Amino acid sequence: MKKLNSLPMWILMLLLTVGLLAFGTLRNRGPLTQQGRIDAISQQLACPTCNGESIYVSRAPAAEAIRNEIAREVAAGQNSDNQIVAVIEKSFPGSVLLPRTDGVESLVWILPVVALVGGLCGLGLVFRRWKNAELQHASDADFAIVEAALQHKNDVTDDENV
Amino acid sequence: MFSAETLGVAVNQGLAGPLGRAALLVGIIASAFGAVASIYTARESLRDGEARTARLIPRFAVLALLAAIAAMTAMEYAMITRDFSLKYVQEHGSRSTPALYNFTAVWSALEGSILLWVLALALSCAVVVWRYRKKLSDPLIAWAMAVMFIVLAFFFLLSFAPANPFGVGAAGVTDGPGPNPLLQNHILVLFHPPILYLGYVGFTIPFAFAIAALVTGRVGEGWLIETRRWTLCAWGLLSFGIILGGWWSYEVLGWSGVWAWDPVENASFLPWLTGTAYIHSVLVQERRGMLRVWNLSLLLATFSLTILGTFLTRSGVLNSVHAFSESDIGKYLIIFFGVIVAVSLWLIAWRGDSLRSPGSIDSPVSREGAFLANNLLFALFAFVVLLGTVFPLVIEALQNRQIVVGEPFFDQLSKPIGIALLALMSIAPVLPWRKASEEVLRQRLFWPAWCGIGALVVSLLVGADGLAALLTFTLGGFASGAALRQLVLATRRQGWRGLVGRANGGMVVHLGVILIAVALAASNSYTRSQELSLKLNTPAEFGGHVFELKGFENEKTDRLTAVKAIVQVDAGKSYAPAITKFVQMGNNIGTPSVKSSWRYDLYLTLEPPVKSESGEARIKVFIKPLVMWMWIGGGMMAVGTLLALFPGRRRRPTDAVSARVATGKALDA
Repeated sequence: MKKLNSLPMWILMLLLTVGLLAFGTLRNRGPLTQQGRIDAISQQLACPTCNGESIYVSRAPAAEAIRNEIAREVAAGQNSDNQIVAVIEKSFPGSVLLPRTDGVESLVWILPVVALVGGLCGLGLVFRRWKNAELQHASDADFAIVEAALQHKNDVTDDENV
Repeated sequence: MFSAETLGVAVNQGLAGPLGRAALLVGIIASAFGAVASIYTARESLRDGEARTARLIPRFAVLALLAAIAAMTAMEYAMITRDFSLKYVQEHGSRSTPALYNFTAVWSALEGSILLWVLALALSCAVVVWRYRKKLSDPLIAWAMAVMFIVLAFFFLLSFAPANPFGVGAAGVTDGPGPNPLLQNHILVLFHPPILYLGYVGFTIPFAFAIAALVTGRVGEGWLIETRRWTLCAWGLLSFGIILGGWWSYEVLGWSGVWAWDPVENASFLPWLTGTAYIHSVLVQERRGMLRVWNLSLLLATFSLTILGTFLTRSGVLNSVHAFSESDIGKYLIIFFGVIVAVSLWLIAWRGDSLRSPGSIDSPVSREGAFLANNLLFALFAFVVLLGTVFPLVIEALQNRQIVVGEPFFDQLSKPIGIALLALMSIAPVLPWRKASEEVLRQRLFWPAWCGIGALVVSLLVGADGLAALLTFTLGGFASGAALRQLVLATRRQGWRGLVGRANGGMVVHLGVILIAVALAASNSYTRSQELSLKLNTPAEFGGHVFELKGFENEKTDRLTAVKAIVQVDAGKSYAPAITKFVQMGNNIGTPSVKSSWRYDLYLTLEPPVKSESGEARIKVFIKPLVMWMWIGGGMMAVGTLLALFPGRRRRPTDAVSARVATGKALDA
């Protein structure tokens, strides 16, 4: 068991995992089907009459009409997914469900990163303080107490031995 | 706030209205007096050592509960007897609604949902009073009761005035549209809202004890031990309520998903996230007496988020498909939220010195360190969900334009956080307290790591791809291995008792969460769909299955017209996706039909327009892998929570963990 647990075995496991993950990530699943493309595009757009539901989720007539429009665009096969999204957004401004990465909207992307970095720094600082606090506790007075206790213990042991 | 309409100054109505309003008034008085009696008890007890007013507290709690039951009964009576003198019944009742949905129509809209909240809160209040009936003169308990009564009084007031379900409607109305059609076609409408509300409301109890601890200055670990089970109960109910909501969405809405990051869903998820962070980090406080301010903050945040969520979904400020209608209650809820936050922060600042805990966490690679990382991730997750939910409001305020932040945003940010949480779930259960050596880690993580690699190999063999999904499967296997290791060790040591108690029940919950994560990753990543134009008795193939339209079934009643397409799958059982048109509402509601198996679900929907006379139907088929495991995982979470509620064979949390370090004085003595 000890041999199995050894560091080289762990390195082997890590390499095996990374290799398998790379194989799984890079292997080609092939292009999306037409329906797959329609679903993927309709998941990125909000239905204009449905209080925030996506075209994919909504069963409303407006969503149905836009789904049909997406299907026509996909069947025509001339535009990429992003171009189709742009075409739909032109007709229904503000319907893209993913906030932009520029202007004020970029805040929605930046703030979580700031929060994560802040949290990690905070944790780092707390651990550092705890570490320093431990060192500070071991003052000369503390060492003297330990010394006295050890001395006391030794004296008692010596007496017992006698 | 108090208009003639809401107070019901009218005579042409049944008994339910006046009775309901009277019951709400009694509830307001009982909870207000209950709060006064509790505060007086706490003060008297501190001053004289005993409090005679303590015996009044249970009476007011019972009176408030009876008032809430009476109000709910009156509302149900009005709905069942179709008392169309009430505005609420006019708007949400109907003569043709079936009995079950007529019963649940009471909480299908804003005013009724607040009434359900009141009932759940009054019930919690009464249960807490009964649990502590012999300790009511203890200032901590008395203050906790005061807080609960104040919250109850606030909700009674909301229900009495701005969200009064007993308001009088227009004269001469003899029928109504009935509840929202989506609330009329699945039995889960009977269970999902009440269970969810019990979860929300349940967090009032630990919140009340936290405030009481701050007020009385007893900020040690005593109040935590008192509220441990309450918190776990509330969390379990909220979890179960959310899972039932996902199931309902899957079975009813017809888009084949369980979660759409809708503001109303997010409102329930936010307190769940902070509540989950709390039930982990509170272990550090129980064990080491540390993180007091953080734990208090998490509890206060959890309760505040339930109120904020209620505001967001009931004030009309956010667009959501299942938000409640616009109403006046938003301003009261936001003021209440502000008061809660202000009072909580002031109390924490006031007790700042006594909250400082001695000791430190020795190493990041320890159980405590893992809990801190867990809390960082859950807090970040909650921040992301809150930010995405309220961001459209920010943009509207700053730039006077409307945007929608939807599923793609939440998916992109929640995936890495979820994967990081799974990674922590893999390691944390095997970590010892204080510090872990490399040797210990290597030994304890060995088999769980192989479980992870095994899961990855199996995933690849069945054709899985994509980094996020593969990482989820790998870490899911790893985390399952860690949880199973703990359970095996515990059952070897203690027999069946190794399955109960917080740590072991918690591992069963972990297994449930892992199943849900894996099922979500699989169903989101590998769903295939195809729209099939089926003609009568002409088979069509998709995904290795044969679909054949065998005919149509039509249903026509006063309430609805429905058409079902009868689709035979693989020459076996027939399924019947339908489209229903509710007469009073007008819009088409699709009802999916699902063939479930342990490998994948076949999810069929009938797409409009239906040409039944020409013998054609457009059927959309979704093949969704592993969905059934989501519900099994939800069940495991519920069972695990119940197991965690049983006391395990363990020392009391307040017992010393290690020998006390002798101080200089002690040595001198």
